[in-house]
Parts: sequence; structure tokens; C-alpha cells
Amino acid sequence: MSIFIQSIINGLNQGAIYALIALGYTMVYGILRMINFAHGDFIMVGAYTMFYTAPLMISYGMPAWMAVFLAIIACTVVGVLVERIAYKPVRNSGSMSALITALAMSLFLENLAMVLFGGNPKTVVKIFDLPMIEILGAKIQLKYLLTLGIGLAIMVALTLFVKMTKLGKAMRAVPQDRAAATIVGINVNKIITITFAIGSGLAAVAAMMYCSTYPRCTTDMGSMMGIKAFIAAVLGGIGIIPGAMLGGLIVGLIEIFVKIYIAPGWYEAITYGILIVVLLIKPSGILGKSVGEKV
Amino acid sequence: MKKKAFCMTLAFAMTVSMVGSTAVFAAEEDNVIKVGAVCAMTGGSAVYGEGAQNAIDMAVEEINDSDSAYKIEIVNGGKVADDAKDAKQAVNAYNSLMAEEPEAVVGSFFSAVTLPMAELAAEDDMLLLATGATNYKVTEIGPTIFRNCFIDPYQGKMAAQFANEQGYKTAAVIYAKDDDYSNGLKDAFVESAEELGIEVAYVGECTTTDTDFTAQATQAVGSGADFVFYPCFLDTVPLLVQQVRDAGFEGAIMGGDGWDGSDTTGLEDYFENCYFTNHYSSEDTAPAVQEFVSKYTEKYGAESLNACAALYYDAMYMLVQAAENGGGSDTESLVKGMTEMKFSGVAGDIYLDEKGDAIKPVVVNTYEDGSIKWLETLAPEA
Repeated sequence: MSIFIQSIINGLNQGAIYALIALGYTMVYGILRMINFAHGDFIMVGAYTMFYTAPLMISYGMPAWMAVFLAIIACTVVGVLVERIAYKPVRNSGSMSALITALAMSLFLENLAMVLFGGNPKTVVKIFDLPMIEILGAKIQLKYLLTLGIGLAIMVALTLFVKMTKLGKAMRAVPQDRAAATIVGINVNKIITITFAIGSGLAAVAAMMYCSTYPRCTTDMGSMMGIKAFIAAVLGGIGIIPGAMLGGLIVGLIEIFVKIYIAPGWYEAITYGILIVVLLIKPSGILGKSVGEKV
Repeated sequence: MKKKAFCMTLAFAMTVSMVGSTAVFAAEEDNVIKVGAVCAMTGGSAVYGEGAQNAIDMAVEEINDSDSAYKIEIVNGGKVADDAKDAKQAVNAYNSLMAEEPEAVVGSFFSAVTLPMAELAAEDDMLLLATGATNYKVTEIGPTIFRNCFIDPYQGKMAAQFANEQGYKTAAVIYAKDDDYSNGLKDAFVESAEELGIEVAYVGECTTTDTDFTAQATQAVGSGADFVFYPCFLDTVPLLVQQVRDAGFEGAIMGGDGWDGSDTTGLEDYFENCYFTNHYSSEDTAPAVQEFVSKYTEKYGAESLNACAALYYDAMYMLVQAAENGGGSDTESLVKGMTEMKFSGVAGDIYLDEKGDAIKPVVVNTYEDGSIKWLETLAPEA
């Protein structure tokens, strides 16, 4: 029983990290109808920023997690630069060009990190110093609950932002009809840049949460997590904010429970299998609305 | 037409000259041992390769500056070839070295990449001196395969013996299913633990690329174990240790030589009560070790000074001794000289048995404030 409860928390913790990354995919896809495969590598940028700045924070007497603000700045700068330098020039050359550019950016960032930071994995210092609590005999790390809380809070904030604010309205308008949006006075380029900035900022938060559970950064850490989070986004319904959250948590829970109750070696196969089944039954994802391609 | 004839003549002339020079090389007894070296220079284990390269540079410089009758030349321009800890890359690295016709190949540090190289070496009758490859199969492949490290069953056995000595009663094992080294240590540990009366309450699998161990950690703790054995490599060790401790585990966590070089920064308190077996300890008071440590640290700093460096360093001296014993620097004499050799080096006194495996003491290290502390040296069994 305690193993079961502990596994739920472990799964939700891992799921919340996937969910935050998936939010980044979903935001960009929602606006641009483009899959930003370099998104996973923004987490790598965030993690390395944490690695270098968290000890500085501690030496200045501040808590280590404050480094996340520097990570957000670093990720946002990288995200916006990638968008401006690499994606904008190919924006009107079709989705295939955009996809290949995104893959190229992913490889570029990974190799750049290899040159800048070296090939050795780096261990990040302890981000949160929180105690362990016991619920029904299960030993639970408070930081795992914190991760889940941050994830949910960000999802709610993002949903409200997109639904309630003027900027959010503009964000919803751009994918519907880019030309019409321009006519009513929306600066499409600005909106796209803001979307990338938000998505990359979320990646930095995800990096912090990742480092608090898995205190290690490698130059290729982004690619595997990126794929998992992409699955989460598609599973929940890509382009839909609560869908990303739901998808992330489902993928996290499946991975942990497969490891415990089925076989540890099978967790990736089963995650991908479930994605295929969901796509066969409901191609637009769990929360996706079945609307035809917009013309 | 004229041009074609010219090309063909030229090609013929080049072939002849190449064949000619090769023949001269093989026949010549130059007292220079041509050595090819292989290690992981990139990827998660690049720190091993860095240590290997530095140690080789150091040993070769020492040998060639000394009055030793035999000198060493490292092919590939003095560089260690990169296997990237990948079996395919290791085969490529081996083949690229073979193009330069070495008389001995040294490497590699990992069992999974050394096994395919050993197959090739056995076919070529090439002397392969494996350094960290501890899988028992390596030296069974051919009579020209040797190693200067102990074998997996031995490390797993010593870990079980250590657990028993320290009074642990219930053990959990988490091992990487996709890695030969990890499987070898796990099997030997489980077997020896059961012989010694330690209950193995949980055996969990993971892969070498996993970062999440929360599921296995939860189950290990749930099984009531007071000793966790994790025979995997340094890059995932901090992850595992933190997650096992986060799951509420307070007992001992132990690993093999793959733990050497693990980064403990920021995780100092998690690494309390953790142990690993190793080939050598830099705190050993033996003069050979202290000389090596001070010289290495002075030249390259302490960061890449791990067991890997010590083993590659020893390997160079073993080749020189093998040439002396065998009376020549060609592969055949080296093999002859290396068979059942007794050698005293940085990584302890080695005796190569009839299979080519090293019989030697194992060091048990622990952590204090995140840095490795030598705990004891367990002697080989009679």
C-alpha cells in the first residue's frame, strides 16, 4: 500500500516535469502549427544555467532555487534568438522546412553545449532542502509535491492568461487567421516571439524541477525528455493547455507503474504503445476537439 | 590513353612501395613497442579517457626517457582512439589502429566495448591488454587477451563479503540490464550473498540511460533491505544515490569500480554510508602509488586521477616488462612475456593467471563529506 502511494507521488512528480515541457510544445504548436523539436534542448540550457548559478546563489546567502530566475532569463534569450534567427526566415517555406530547421537547431544546441560545457555530466547542487513526510506509511518527499504544485499553478495561470488577457486573445487569434489578425492590428511577429519566450521560460522552470529530483545535466538530456514531453502533448491533445498537463501526468504515472508492476525494461515501449492506441481511437488527443484542418 | 597508363603505373609503384615498407617494418627488430590505445574519450565517461590519455603520456615519457631497453610508441599520433563507450565505435577504433600495425593494443576500460575488440584481436593474434574490462568472458576469447584488473565475479563477491563483515542482513540489488558489467557483478553478488547467508530481498532492473530510479528505489526500500548494491557507472550514481535516499533509505549503498569519479558536489550528505570496490586507492601509502599520484596531480590536476588512469599507466609498464621477459618487441614475444607474469605496479601486485586474468587485492572506498576515503583493502582469496 505504501509502495502504491509513493509510486503515485513519484509518477505525478515525473509527470509534472513532462507536463511543463509539454506546455512549451503545445504553446508553440497552438500558435504556429509547428513542432519545435529544439524545445527539449531549452531545458538543457536551463539545467546548465542552474548548474553554474545555483552555487553562486548559495555563496551570496540566497536559497539555491533563486537560480531559476537566471535560468528563465537564459532560456528566454535562447528561445527568442532561436526563433528570430532560425525559425522566422523559414516561416513561410512550408512545415517541412520548419520541422527540419527545428531538428537542426536541436542538434546545434546539443553540440554547442558539448563545446561550451564539455562532455562530462554535471551534478547540480541540492535545489530544495525540504523534509520528508509520512502519509499512511508512505515516505514522501515534500519537494515532489512542490513540483506538482508548481506545475498545476503554472497551467492554471497560463489558461487564465490565454483566456482572459488581451495578449492571450491575440495569441488565440493568430493561428485562426494570420492575415486577418494583422488587419485588426495584431503584431504577429511580436505574438510569436512572446509565445517562444513563455515556452522557453517554462522550460527553465521544468529544468529546475528536473534538477531537484535528478540532479544531473548532460548535453543530450533534452532530446529524450523532449520526446517524452512531445508524446505527452500529443496524448493530451496538442495545442490545448490542460491537455499538455493531463498528458504529462499520464505519461509520468504510466512510466512509474509499468516499472513497478509490469517490467522495468518495458516502460518506454508501453508509453509509446499507449500513444499509438490513443491516436488510433482519437487522433486529436484525449482533450482534443475533432475539428477539420482550418483553411 | 597515355594518361591512363601513367595512372596505372603510378598506382602500381605506390602499391609496391607500401608493401615493401611494411615488410621492412615487420622484419626489423627496433626495440620499440608500437602500441594502440583505446578508451572512452567522449560521452558520459569521457573523464576516464582523459585520465587514460594523461597517464599514457606520462608513462611513455618516463619509459622513453629512462634507460629501459625497450621504448614505447603510441600509434595514432600518440592519441588514444575513442570508443565512446559504444561497441560499434570500439570496433572502428580497433580497426583504425590496426591500419597502423601496432604490436599490442591496450584497452578498453569497459567490458561491453572490450568484448567485440577481443574477438577481433583473437582473430588477428593481436595482443590485447584490457584495462578496466572486468567481465569474466574477456580473457576466455583467446590466448592473446590479458587484463590488469580483477574480474566481475570477484568484485561482486568482495562486495557481498564486505556486506557480511559489516553485519548487513538483507540486500537489494538494482542493476542495468543492458550492460554486461552490471549483469556480471549482480550475478556474482547474489550468488555470494546467498552463500554467506544474506537475504537478497529485491532485484530490480534499469538501463544505463535511465535517469529515473524512483520506482526501483521505492521497491528496494519496501523490501526492507539495509544494503543496496548498485553495480553501474559513475554518470548515474549520483542520481541513484539521491533517489534511494529520497525514498527513505538509511542503510549502506555499494557499487563497483564503475563508481570511481562520481560527482558528489552538493550531495555530500547523501553519499554518507556509501561504498565501492576499486582497483587502487590514491591514499595507499605504497611508494609507487604516492609517486604516481604526486606526479600526475602536478601535471594534470586531481580531477581525472581515477583508477582508469592508474590502470593505463600500469599497462605501459607491463608491456615493457613483457618485452623484457619475452625478449623482443614483436607481438609474439610480448604474448610470451606476458603469460603468467608477475608485476608490481600502481594498482597493486598483480599475478596473471593461466587465463590472463589478474589476481590482485581489491580496495574498498567510502565517502567523507563527498570525497572518496580509502576504507580497507580486502586480500584475494587463496
